[in-house]
Amino acid sequence: MLLQVSKLTKSYPAPAGGSLTVLANVSLEVAAGESVAVVGPSGSGKSTLLQIIGTLDLPTQGKVLLEGQDLTQLDQVALANVRNIRIGFVFQSHYLLPHCTVWENVLVPTLAASPPAPLLGGAGGGLAESVESRAERLLKRVGLAERLHHFPGQLSGGERQRVAVVRALINRPKLLLADEPTGALDHASAVNLGQLLVELNREEGVTLIVVTHSRELAQTMGRVLEIKDGQLR
Amino acid sequence: MKLRTLTTRSLRFHWRSHLGVVMGAAIGSAALIGALIVGDSVKGSLRERALDRVGKVRFALASGDRLFEDTMALRLDGRVLDRNSSPVPIAAALMLNGSANKADGSARAHGVTAMGIEPKSWRSLALDARPLFGFLPGQALLSEQVAQQLKLKLGESFLLRLPKTSGLSQDAVMVNREETMITLRLEYAGPAPRELLGDFALHAGQGGAQNILVPIEDLQHAVGADRQANILLVAGNKSKDDPYRYDSYLKVTLESAFSEKWRLSDLQAELDVPELGEVELRSRRVFLDEPLTLSALAADTNSQPILTYLANLITDGTHAAPYSMVTAAGAPWTPPGLRDDEIVINQWLAEDLQAKPGDGLTLVYYDPESGARLTERTNTFRVHSVVPMKIPWADRTLMPQFPGIEKAETTAEWGTAFPLVHKIRPQDDDYWTDYRGTPKAFITLAAGQTMWSNRFGNLTAVRFPVPTNQVGDGATSLQSDSAQSEPPHVASYKESLEKKILATLKPEELGLRFEPVREQALKAAEQSQDFAGLFIGFSLFVIVAALLLMALLFQFGLEQRAGEIGTLLALGLPPNQVRRMFLREGIVLAFIGGVLGTAAGIAYAKAMLLGLVTVWRDAVGTSTLKFFVTPQTLLMGLFASALVAAFTLWLALRKQVKRPARELLGGGLEDSGPEGDQSGGEKKWMSLSIGAGVVALGLVGWTLAKGDTANAGAFFGAGALVLIASLSVLTARLSQRSKSSSILHPLSSRALALRGLSRRRSRSVATVAMLASGTFLIVSIGVFRLDANRDATLRSSGTGGFALIGESTMPVVADFNTKAGRESFALNESDFENVDVVHFRVRQGDEASCLNLNRAQKPRLLGVNPDLLQGRFTIAKGEGWPALGSVLHASHSALEIPAIGDANSIQWAMGKKIGDAIDYVDERGQPFKIRIVGAVANSILQGQLIIDEAEFLKRFPGESGCKYFLIDAPTNRIADLSAKLSRALQDVGLEVTPAPLRMAQFNAVQNTYLATFQVLGGLGLLLGSAGLGIVVLRNVLERRGELAVLIAVGWRSAAVRKLVLLEHAALLVFGLMVGLVAAAVAVLPSAVSAGCQLPVLSLTVTLLLVLANGLIFTWLATRFALRGKLLNALRNE
Repeated sequence: MLLQVSKLTKSYPAPAGGSLTVLANVSLEVAAGESVAVVGPSGSGKSTLLQIIGTLDLPTQGKVLLEGQDLTQLDQVALANVRNIRIGFVFQSHYLLPHCTVWENVLVPTLAASPPAPLLGGAGGGLAESVESRAERLLKRVGLAERLHHFPGQLSGGERQRVAVVRALINRPKLLLADEPTGALDHASAVNLGQLLVELNREEGVTLIVVTHSRELAQTMGRVLEIKDGQLR
Repeated sequence: MKLRTLTTRSLRFHWRSHLGVVMGAAIGSAALIGALIVGDSVKGSLRERALDRVGKVRFALASGDRLFEDTMALRLDGRVLDRNSSPVPIAAALMLNGSANKADGSARAHGVTAMGIEPKSWRSLALDARPLFGFLPGQALLSEQVAQQLKLKLGESFLLRLPKTSGLSQDAVMVNREETMITLRLEYAGPAPRELLGDFALHAGQGGAQNILVPIEDLQHAVGADRQANILLVAGNKSKDDPYRYDSYLKVTLESAFSEKWRLSDLQAELDVPELGEVELRSRRVFLDEPLTLSALAADTNSQPILTYLANLITDGTHAAPYSMVTAAGAPWTPPGLRDDEIVINQWLAEDLQAKPGDGLTLVYYDPESGARLTERTNTFRVHSVVPMKIPWADRTLMPQFPGIEKAETTAEWGTAFPLVHKIRPQDDDYWTDYRGTPKAFITLAAGQTMWSNRFGNLTAVRFPVPTNQVGDGATSLQSDSAQSEPPHVASYKESLEKKILATLKPEELGLRFEPVREQALKAAEQSQDFAGLFIGFSLFVIVAALLLMALLFQFGLEQRAGEIGTLLALGLPPNQVRRMFLREGIVLAFIGGVLGTAAGIAYAKAMLLGLVTVWRDAVGTSTLKFFVTPQTLLMGLFASALVAAFTLWLALRKQVKRPARELLGGGLEDSGPEGDQSGGEKKWMSLSIGAGVVALGLVGWTLAKGDTANAGAFFGAGALVLIASLSVLTARLSQRSKSSSILHPLSSRALALRGLSRRRSRSVATVAMLASGTFLIVSIGVFRLDANRDATLRSSGTGGFALIGESTMPVVADFNTKAGRESFALNESDFENVDVVHFRVRQGDEASCLNLNRAQKPRLLGVNPDLLQGRFTIAKGEGWPALGSVLHASHSALEIPAIGDANSIQWAMGKKIGDAIDYVDERGQPFKIRIVGAVANSILQGQLIIDEAEFLKRFPGESGCKYFLIDAPTNRIADLSAKLSRALQDVGLEVTPAPLRMAQFNAVQNTYLATFQVLGGLGLLLGSAGLGIVVLRNVLERRGELAVLIAVGWRSAAVRKLVLLEHAALLVFGLMVGLVAAAVAVLPSAVSAGCQLPVLSLTVTLLLVLANGLIFTWLATRFALRGKLLNALRNE
């Protein structure tokens, strides 16, 4: 099993005292290569679940095991390493660096390649070479072969999100997490991106978890889970 | 809902973001208003000091060594009325320069002014009518500075050394130089407060006056000037009149009253009656002043001009007669038709020399212009005839009042100024006993004047035959003594003659001029150093940095409100209206900033003033600067700063509102890429860079080639051009960065950081510009600091290669370059081996060095033989020393005298430039111009103008001796020589200063200004660094999402912080480097000039501090912006 989430609880202190539980005893298992959609109404905790899996947040209780390793027990350096190598993340907003080209944006994660992760040295030679050809290949794959030297401001919303997907995949992660990836796109672009994610899941062998409001996107995934009132069904 | 309401609500809602804008405006306004207040305060303090200095005195008639009767004040009393018909107070005083020392010799004060005053009349001039307590004979009141120097306690005694007054100039051959000094023992009776004119001085100076107030009788008696005075002070009454009109009226009234009431005795001249049938005009000054001669000769056509002089030796072959008077005159002493090479001798001389008509006689005499050098000259005559020992030839009264011999009973009693080198024989003594100074020979007046005319005059007497028909009119004689022995008709003739002579004589022709001292003092203060301008200059960088900071903050505020602007535009409000709305907000903020800045400016000015009287005291040389401010200054400062701030905000606003509503509505800058550039932009910037660089280097080359290394315009021009060139390179590089490359390079963190800089290119360039300008100022100012000791021994340096500067209180007539001169002060010959002294004559005037903040109206003049300065100092501008001797230079009229001065003094203290002229009045009251023809680079000659000695003597014949000396001595003997000279010339109050020390004192002023500039530049740089910090903060906050993604994709927080630091440290380093390069190029011409050294250590430390300061601000801003969980930026979406 690639991912095992067990008895995950996440609560926040409530403004009026006490606490507000967003996730309560959530457990989940995802096998390698699987594609999973998590759906649910706004505020149901689906993004929180994804961010905890993606190590962007910590649970109040429970465990997240990735390839048998409990991510909740790792220190910041190890977590950064996990995010860099083993997990890829696609957000609702692309968060591309506006001053970098498509090509450069895709390579940004390689600068933090670890271990060790030198800031200035960039990725190691062999790795750098392979990531560059990979970047080129993936960008071609997502239909941006002609856009390598363009800046984000010169791309459409769908194109930007595709760049974000390639950026997420550049370090060959085992797990790709997408948080409302089509949320800011028009219908056609959203359909295209959904299709692309599924295909990449298959082609790259990357496990995919998508949080979405879109039933249409969810239906393209191998498994659909619904989250409601902090419970996974 | 009105626009005003919207503005008010907006101001209230965004008050936090406005706070920074207001603070920026307040800082800029505080710096501006503070500078203006500093200017007001310096001017106000100088004005107050000027008024303290002159008290109620409006006019002064200062006659120097020409004494007049002290009854003049009484004679004028009640006769000089102002426009309100009120009599104005007038007092006479005797002012003499001298030195003082404590009775035990433990303390000494050079250059003191003894002021003999009559307390009652003095009080009428002072600002305070308090009686002068304890002011009894033998007592003195001391101005604060003298009391401090002498370390006196009340009741203690001190010695005052003064020159004995004499009608004769110290330069006259016959003056007795050995008995010129007197010592007066006085008791310190109390301080001479400013209110009682304790600080009275004729000329504007920086330090307080060194006055010793003594009862006038004490002083007169001590210096042998009973009932004589040399200064007449005229006070004004309180009047609502315009001061200029009041003074003009008073001056006319004064001059008319003076002309009516003066006497020949006020000119040290008298009408004597040698024979009952004759009246003789003679003078205590031996020679009659030329204007007096002309008036006297014109008064009566029967007058007889006479010139009698001393012949050291008259020889005929082997026979010689020593020390004989020779008279040059017409009939009846010489026969008609006597040729100029013929001589008439008396019987006694003919027998003594065994001479007869037709013999050749040789006359040996002192050149009357040779002064202490006592140069002998000879002339030969043919004996025309021999005259008997009877009247008119046997007339002992033909001898003028030669001091030392006039009253001697025997030749043994002669107290001559010159050594009696020729043997006086018994028959000479007998002649003296029988005939006294009766001339032994007579020549024509023309022959006599050819030999003996000099700057003091060309006659020793004018005789007038008393008309036989003169009938006494019963008028009282002017001179009661002679009235008893003179027949009434003689007395009456004398009286009418005196009136006649004086009627055609103008007092100013004899140096008796009323100078408007109050007006001059106020003018000097009014036109003083423009400290407001100076401090605005000093604070300019602070002001600019504050404005840039304000503009940045305002811009950030606008960017944050991009959506708001977009909404307003989308709702159909025209861009102009939106701009006006925001501009109104900006103006309100600028005005609030201005008001806060006004309060802060007052505090800032007080801090600056405190600095000026403490740590920067060298720049102003005073510890008494008072705080002065006028409402006009505050209002002007407030509106000017608010206007500048509003304009800056308008510039920032203009750009923002130009953007389309769609873009603004979309969150402003979120999705826009790096600031794009039009095609060819990069090339355009590179071309600009190359162009600016070439022009900068050309400018430096031109400056070097022209030798005009102190050219401020070239300095700032070259600096600015290099800044422009460097910033253009940066812009071009960032433009390049902002473009994609066709080659797919591997990405590095450094490349990523540089990409970050190109994102907000104008912001990056502005930050670099701010840092670079600050660095440029701080570094270049460091280089401009002057070192007095550098190359001090070189003739081309600021010391002119001179080791010592000597300044004496009393004139020195001896020439130290001659054995006789050295002997006269008992100086050892061996001490003067390889020592060369350049003597300067001095005409006192306003101190025109940078040690005096007042504008020098009539700077001190030094007269020197320009040949002696050839090859000394470095001429920075204009002509060199030889130009001083060329009065007939094509560009100078006959009434113009060329002068050379120190470049700094000319520019700052005099407010002049090469080619400008300054009006002076000579001793005879004749106006003339001093034309500045050359300027010496940064030298010890500050404070004065130097003219040719020959011209000096023509204009100021009464200024005897020299008071300023530049001494060139071997390095190893300087200290010894200095000590020996000070000791030997103690009586003349010689103060010897090492030339490098004086240079350092002058340099201290410039260095202190530079230090001030550096401190304020540092303050500006601090603001620049704060600006950098704000830019970092803003950049990071704007990019929190992007940076969070870096964390999300596996970057460590520390790595992200490092990336941000790297990005902004690059701006900092680049800013410093650009500033450093600009400074290096700009100061290159100065760095290679004399007296300039590169302060490598202090510069390195300064730059490291600036770097550290910038890094601290960047680090703090990075920490602050990245505090908390960056990842929340993603979650909060």
